[in-house]
Amino acid sequence: MYPDIAAIPEDPAADARLLAAMADWCQRYTPLVAIDAPDGILLDISGCAHLFGGEDRLRDDLVASMTRFGFAAQAASAATIGAAWAAARFSDTPIIAPQRERTAIADLPLAALRLPAATIAAMGRVGLKQIHHILDMPRAPLAARFGADVLRRLDRALGHEDEPLSPLLPVAPYVAEQPFADPIAREEDVLAVVERLAGRLKTMLERRGEGARRIALTLFRTDGAVKRVTAETSRPVRDPHDIRKLFSERLAALGDEIDPGFGFDLARLSVEIAEGRPDQQIGLSGSEDEADLARLIDRLSARLGRNRVTRLIAQDSHAPELAGVTMPAQRAGRIEDGWNGFRRFRDDADLPARPLRLLARPEPIDHVIAMVPDGPPSRFRWRRALHEIVAAEGPERIAGAWWNENGWPARDYFRVEDKTGLRFWLFRAGLHRDLAEPPPWFLHGMYA
Amino acid sequence: MAALPHQETRLATIAQLRQTLRAIEKPSLVGKDTPLLPFGIPELDEALAGGLPCDALHEIAALHEAALAPAAGFALALAARHAARKSVVFIAEDLSAAESGLPYGPGLDEVGLAPERFISVSAPKSRDVLWTMEEALRCSAVAAVIGELRAGARGIDTVATRRLSLAAAEHGTLALILRTDPGDEPSAAATRWMIGPAPTAFDPYGVGPPRIAAHLTRNRRGNLGSWILEWHRVEQRFILAEIGQPLAATAPDRPHHSARVASRVASRVA
Repeated sequence: MYPDIAAIPEDPAADARLLAAMADWCQRYTPLVAIDAPDGILLDISGCAHLFGGEDRLRDDLVASMTRFGFAAQAASAATIGAAWAAARFSDTPIIAPQRERTAIADLPLAALRLPAATIAAMGRVGLKQIHHILDMPRAPLAARFGADVLRRLDRALGHEDEPLSPLLPVAPYVAEQPFADPIAREEDVLAVVERLAGRLKTMLERRGEGARRIALTLFRTDGAVKRVTAETSRPVRDPHDIRKLFSERLAALGDEIDPGFGFDLARLSVEIAEGRPDQQIGLSGSEDEADLARLIDRLSARLGRNRVTRLIAQDSHAPELAGVTMPAQRAGRIEDGWNGFRRFRDDADLPARPLRLLARPEPIDHVIAMVPDGPPSRFRWRRALHEIVAAEGPERIAGAWWNENGWPARDYFRVEDKTGLRFWLFRAGLHRDLAEPPPWFLHGMYA
Repeated sequence: MAALPHQETRLATIAQLRQTLRAIEKPSLVGKDTPLLPFGIPELDEALAGGLPCDALHEIAALHEAALAPAAGFALALAARHAARKSVVFIAEDLSAAESGLPYGPGLDEVGLAPERFISVSAPKSRDVLWTMEEALRCSAVAAVIGELRAGARGIDTVATRRLSLAAAEHGTLALILRTDPGDEPSAAATRWMIGPAPTAFDPYGVGPPRIAAHLTRNRRGNLGSWILEWHRVEQRFILAEIGQPLAATAPDRPHHSARVASRVASRVA
């Protein structure tokens, strides 16, 4: 019929992503941004408007930027979410002054109260079409007839009841930002800005005696995209130089994902998690080393990923794979107590020697021949190589979690040495008398 | 620290002279007063002219892939002896964990390394291993760095090893490269070892104290040689194993050890 019409299929997922990207961009005005699906964004600008020259200048800037990005936008601000929503969609007033919501929304249709269509239709049938029709009606019959939701929406719009706004991101306790009249794109410039902003954050943190545990760098591109990079540390930091090095590693690790496009025109450094860190004396050699080690761990974690830099934690478990586990180094606190406890247990219980390297999963071995059914093997084949055993120690019986249905059967561990001098830690899973067929053998670790 | 102009030029001149001196000194990375780590074995220490230089790069290769565990034990024992109170960083590729397992905390005490001093890093590629080694060498709280590289790891050329040995020399940290196969490219390492497994002495109660066959294949400071080393658990050091030595006597301060040894079920296949 109309060959010139360009028909594009609806893609709600892509629309939602676009809306989320726009909401990210709106973070430059205020940290409290929420998405009002499917086509709205809510900004809580209390306390932020003066930075942009007043509410009307902020609104004009917002609408102008959205138009520049190619969107048709309507914006309105009021003291309550309900009134602002109504004004943005159904009226032309850009700003509703506080305490003036009643007059401002009185002439708007009932749909401006965010009521479901069925309720609006029902109310329309009895002649209630605009908000001023229900403003002065007795409340109880209204609620009884059309539901309590009507009154709640009305109260929220007029400011009699508080409506919370659930922001996309939590508000960071410490924020420092720097706009650029001339957008920056080079990595060195970004890092220099990070160091400068970190210097500002340092004064803020020092005043409260806190340090940063997680820092986020948000870069706003001129074309509306927002890039966010976070870095975590193992202990609270304040030093701008350290923070700069952390982000240098993060940016190196992210590489091309941070594409500056035509440049960034706003950089914001926020401390998302802060912890108490009293001022420390410098010069005590022990704490200097610890601080140096923490910095190394942070740098390596920033570059390679938090889970790749680990420490060994002793756990109170008889299962070998759980007795010593790894944990990200940034999270691990004091671990000496665990290992001292393990050493005490090992001496008390006379534990046999443990292997130097443990396989993540015990590997099955075959062609096992044992002289005695319950004794150590005299040869086995592992990874297609045959090993002849000349000496063995054991068995050390480690029972599985018998209280658990999925617990593994009791294992008899043997420390064996083969003809060439390689030493292994093998076990037989299960006892001969318990299983119908011969129990399987596994190799769990290697000794030095 | 604000300095007056003529002081600044003096400081600059001193810094420049230091730089020149360092450049002249560099060819022999192991200087006169490098700290040495003696093995306590006269033959070995003589070949090393006193001991293993502690602020240099050493290469420890396993004879074949299955011998990686004894080679790792040798490397960790050296690191443990040098580390004392400081930390040891162990870097391995992801593939290593799947193929040869990870260092196991309860087993580290056997080679004398306290697990709480151990930081392990798993790197995605071999060049990340080298980068991490260099970063860790620069940290003052780290006494030894061990980087495990598998066969076919590219990038262990003269340039990379030279960078590592320079970083080790500058910060006084022990750097060890652990390889799963002996490579023969030229390297800037101070010593190169090949470690293979060695059968333990006969022990009626089970497996004797662990032994390794250590071959010193490249040594800047002395002769080469091959030895069979046995790990002495009580003294926490290597001793030279002689073939046919009878079972070592139980340590006097651990009387319950003999009881434990006797209670183990042992079997010996001739």
